[in-house]
Amino acid sequence: MSVSLSAGTEAPAPERALGSLPSTDAEIRRNIAARRARGAVWRWLFAGALAFGILALATLLCTVVDGAFGLAVYEHSVDPRELSDRSLEELSQPELVEIFRANVSAGLFRRYDRERPLAERSAEDVRELIYERVVERRVVASYGLGESLLRRAAVERETAERHPGGVLEWRSWVSLDFLTRPMSSVPERAGIRTALLGSVWMIALTMLIAFPVGVAAAIYLEEFAGRSWWNRLIETNINNLAGVPSIIYGMLGLAIFVRALEPLTSGRALGAEGVNGRTILSAALTMALLILPLIIISAREAIRAVPSSLREASYGLGATRWQTVWHHVLPSALPGILTGTILGMSRAAGETAPLIVVGASTFIVSDPSGPFSSFTALPVQIYNWTSQPQETFRDIAAAAILVLLALLLSLNAAAVLLRNRFRRMY
Amino acid sequence: MTVAQGVSNGTYAIETRDLSVYYGSFRAVKNVNLRLEPRKITALIGPSGCGKSTVLRTLNRMNDLVPGARVEGEVLFQGKNLYARDVDAVEVRRRIGMVFQKPNPFPKSIYDNIAFGPRINGWKGSKADMDNLVEASLRGAALWDEVKDKLHESGLALSGGQQQRLCIARALATQPEIILMDEPCSALDPISTLKVEELMFELRRNYTIIIVTHNMQQAARASDYTAFFLMDSDRAGQLIEYGPTQQLFTKPSDKRTEDYISGRFG
Repeated sequence: MSVSLSAGTEAPAPERALGSLPSTDAEIRRNIAARRARGAVWRWLFAGALAFGILALATLLCTVVDGAFGLAVYEHSVDPRELSDRSLEELSQPELVEIFRANVSAGLFRRYDRERPLAERSAEDVRELIYERVVERRVVASYGLGESLLRRAAVERETAERHPGGVLEWRSWVSLDFLTRPMSSVPERAGIRTALLGSVWMIALTMLIAFPVGVAAAIYLEEFAGRSWWNRLIETNINNLAGVPSIIYGMLGLAIFVRALEPLTSGRALGAEGVNGRTILSAALTMALLILPLIIISAREAIRAVPSSLREASYGLGATRWQTVWHHVLPSALPGILTGTILGMSRAAGETAPLIVVGASTFIVSDPSGPFSSFTALPVQIYNWTSQPQETFRDIAAAAILVLLALLLSLNAAAVLLRNRFRRMY
Repeated sequence: MTVAQGVSNGTYAIETRDLSVYYGSFRAVKNVNLRLEPRKITALIGPSGCGKSTVLRTLNRMNDLVPGARVEGEVLFQGKNLYARDVDAVEVRRRIGMVFQKPNPFPKSIYDNIAFGPRINGWKGSKADMDNLVEASLRGAALWDEVKDKLHESGLALSGGQQQRLCIARALATQPEIILMDEPCSALDPISTLKVEELMFELRRNYTIIIVTHNMQQAARASDYTAFFLMDSDRAGQLIEYGPTQQLFTKPSDKRTEDYISGRFG
């Protein structure tokens, strides 16, 4: 249907076609139904995208959990029941030492005794030694959680065939022992204490460096710097830096912190007994550089979001720029700044590449004791374990991933709690 | 340029001479000459975009905060040009207080809202002195009776009208010599507006008040002097007429003033 609109009292407009709109009830309803249908298609597409993401995440979690728990087949060279008529757990320290002496070669015994006299070791230590050197209990095969639960019979049959002397046992690869034991080249005796401590040290130092520097830079850029081309150039480049691949930061850290600043990062300049620059401090400085753009960008956004009416109120009372920033802008922007910092912290905790370049060791037995210790970190350890040939390393890698996830979640939860406290105050 | 007809002689609270304000290359205000009487209420009126707020904000150098803003001419306050090289904008704002269009209390307690100004300006005294100062400021803004039992609750929990009076109390606490008000009632309901106007009459005894308003009734009933601004052909704001409110509203000397106050445009 064509419509012609009258021009009222104005001069009549020249005759032109004005097109047509659906006009009968049926036409209007059909048109609306068609538009609705188009919207519904998009809605399903969006829901599908979300479902895909959730599915991928769920699969990841399942894989990790599947690897971290399940049945394991143990074998031992000597049955512990043959060593004593009582169980090893009930024996006293001198009895255990006696069993150890009787079952290892004289040379091996002397070696352990020289390391630390056996008489001085605790009963647990000696028992561990017996398990390690005499019983030689080891995992010869392991099964994932899914297999262990659903195909139990098949697993038992396979074990009986391939490992006649083997014992099938449930095993959780994440355990208190796993958390508290140091590195070991034997996967079932390996723990992640050093990696966990290394990660915690590194994250703490990284935040200590990156947070104040990042927030200070953001305040300068937002509140003090003018709009000169020079400042705009700096701003653009900070945004670009956020997109630089992390391995390049690793190279930078290697060149500057590990090599050029070695006296400082090894701690020798400060009186510590550092060996080289491959220390927690170097790693933390590198990570701080890596997350600095993230923190600066998010802090700037948060500062910019502070309403100008708040600034004007403060200036209107005769406050200086610094008083305005300190008393009003920063407290209001803090929740937003913390959100960005949480993201940066998670990034620092999970990065692997720069740590490997900067020189995280993969095998460290002693705990890191300060900024100048050599170190390893959880992601580096996981990377290392997944590249080992033995199957069991993959199980403990899965367990380590769970620990890393738990560490990340608890760090984030702590930061979110802190942020909410500030929100309530303002 | 019409200047100060019928304005009494003597010293002025503040005076502008050939004041022009630029935002970048755009001239927002052109050659304003205005002499403001001490302890009176002067209203700046005019249609949107005529530069009345800009003029107000140049009086305590609030425009310094706007990137690209530039001022030509002079603003004389106690015989000194506020835009002279050796004048500190912080000192200007400390002595010429401001109340804004939208109530903007700090997200702090009522008490801290008032105490902030004195504290940052180097106030010295005991806790009891501060209590007295807070009470005096709130009484000065006719807010004391309403908030005396909840001084440590957030200033944001108050109603819009109360918030605006809190902002006035906050400005009073630093004991300014002039109070600038930028459309202080535009976000308020009529009853709150009335309260703020009554308050202005009270404050007139001790302070010079300059108020920007786009409400002509408000200018007519609540001011002693009125200045009328209008954009000229190149969109720069100009002072058209300035005089006692009574005279400007009943016998305007400029045709454009008459057109505006009789509602023919704007």
